[in-house]
Amino acid sequence: MFHVSFRYIFGIPPLILVLLPVASSDCDIEGKDGKEYQNVLMISIDELGEFIRTERNLDSSPGLNTRFTDSMIEIDSNCLNNESNFFKKHSCDDNKEPLFLNRAARKMRQFLKMNISEDFNLHLARVSQGTLKLLNCTTKGKGRKPPSLGEAQPTKNLEENKSLKEQKKQNDLCFLKILLQKIKTCWNKILRDAKEH
Amino acid sequence: MTILGTALGMVFYLLQVVSGESGYAQNGDFEDAELDDYSFSCYSQLEVDGPQHLLSCAFEDPDVNSTNLEFEICEGLLEVKCLNFSKLQETYFIKTKKFLLIGDSTICVKLGGKHITCQKLNIVKRVKPEAPFDVKVIYREEANEFVVTFNTSHLQKKYVKDLLHEVVYRLEKNENDWMHVNISSTKLTLLQRKLQPNAMYEIKVRSIPNTNYFEGFWSEWSPSSHFRTPENNSGKMDPVLLIISIVSFFSVALMVILACVLWKKRIKPIVWPSLPDHKKTLEQLCKKPKKNLNVSFNPESFLDCQIHKVDGIQARDEAEAFLQDTFPPQLDDSEKQRLGGGVQGLNWPSQHAVITPKTFGGESPLRCLSGSVTVCDVPVIPSSRPPDCREGGKNGPHVYQGLLLGAGTTNSTLPHLFPFQSGILTLNPAVQGQPLFTSLGSSQEEAYVTMSSFYQNQ
Repeated sequence: MFHVSFRYIFGIPPLILVLLPVASSDCDIEGKDGKEYQNVLMISIDELGEFIRTERNLDSSPGLNTRFTDSMIEIDSNCLNNESNFFKKHSCDDNKEPLFLNRAARKMRQFLKMNISEDFNLHLARVSQGTLKLLNCTTKGKGRKPPSLGEAQPTKNLEENKSLKEQKKQNDLCFLKILLQKIKTCWNKILRDAKEH
Repeated sequence: MTILGTALGMVFYLLQVVSGESGYAQNGDFEDAELDDYSFSCYSQLEVDGPQHLLSCAFEDPDVNSTNLEFEICEGLLEVKCLNFSKLQETYFIKTKKFLLIGDSTICVKLGGKHITCQKLNIVKRVKPEAPFDVKVIYREEANEFVVTFNTSHLQKKYVKDLLHEVVYRLEKNENDWMHVNISSTKLTLLQRKLQPNAMYEIKVRSIPNTNYFEGFWSEWSPSSHFRTPENNSGKMDPVLLIISIVSFFSVALMVILACVLWKKRIKPIVWPSLPDHKKTLEQLCKKPKKNLNVSFNPESFLDCQIHKVDGIQARDEAEAFLQDTFPPQLDDSEKQRLGGGVQGLNWPSQHAVITPKTFGGESPLRCLSGSVTVCDVPVIPSSRPPDCREGGKNGPHVYQGLLLGAGTTNSTLPHLFPFQSGILTLNPAVQGQPLFTSLGSSQEEAYVTMSSFYQNQ
């Protein structure tokens, strides 16, 4: 009799604890009224857009403009979508908005190492950290180190290395621009759904 | 197993007791009397120096010995966990760009590395805007108003952009009598008529966040600005207005007096003409017969009377001439014949036609005519009826009314007679045989005596 009770006391609860994260929702969105997003996050997203435009030395012609709008994505013809796998795997589908924002906010952290400027990093951190704070997710692997953007390959030719670095930077900025736009779109979708309900 | 469970329970109990006495209070709600002295308040100023924000804290008790005390902020920061405050006299401040601006932060007072008291606060709910500046007052003479403008650094900021401004102004001689106006823009208009003329005013402005996210405290007052109101030039207009108003008043009074005086005689008859009372009018017109007179409109009662037919009514030359002068288009012969025939058809003794001119308002401008026609004073009654005429029935023909003249009429009397469309002329029975003629003058309507012709100016 005692052996049976031990099995139930010490066997089942750990099993429940392990299975609980799978069954429960990861994120609980706060700030659905949009105050934090409109007054803080959106300002930083727009500032990052300006930084990216400056960094990529784009002119103000309509076709190459990177200013973000709520209703459309400005397509940059020079933007190489080399990490489109991310967007193929994660999208702001219905009932998956918090999950997408969570992954997108985490993805943004890897751009902190670009070291474009202090203000750029601060705005990037504000968008990432602010989004995660509002999502209030119970994340796995909290202390996981953010993935790096990739190490520089030792090359024989210095000029080739420099060119590759520049190309990589442009690609990263391009990806970041699209990522920011998708984050903005997903937030708008959450707020719109919150208003309707 | 029982012993094991008991041991575990005791361990947990001890842990709980120990942690309860650890002394780490998140909300500063210690019951220790000493900690009340370390209560503090903070305010934030966003983008006060470019992109940098400022957070200032100070003890509420000015007597606190803050020599070795330090302030620390944790949570709600970017890239770092905690930041330390700097000290300036009795105020602790931190200037950084690393505020997350979302969620709460924890500010603790430390003494020797140990946390004495902590407070959880939201930086965005304790925003104190920068004071407005450059307050200007411009007088617009054409509009008789003062335009107040001022500037604020928040117009160029990204976060706290929407502010509510409080503008206060007073007469310099009135110490505490401030007028308050709240506006959301940086421009205010003051009407000159609401200010005292030729007086010196003082004005200043302060601001507070006016958004649904950023909240906080009133800013410091802006530097005061002074302006003087001009003398009241509109006084020149006052005598003119006064004169105009006096003249208007007297004009109205005069009109009222005139209206009262002339009401009965002139105004009322025009505005409210009285309807003629037929009975009274007839009574006035028709006097009591002096002799036995049988008034009847029934032609059968006059069967015994000599009736002159009107076929051969002929006007005398004088009468015709006169009639041509006084009456507009003379009737055609056909008309006359028609009238004559009409008269004949009625079988009405022409001598019984009675004319009552309008001018016979109790007066008798006409004298009785000799001859066949007699125009009598009002009331004129058909006195020419021969005594042998019977009174007729009531069903008689219309009273054929027309102006019938006979011989003996003079020009001087006729003008008084003829202005009227119709009338009844009494005839002298002595001249029954004489022809009578009708001169109806302008229209056939004169043949009909209407009751309105009996109307007399009263």
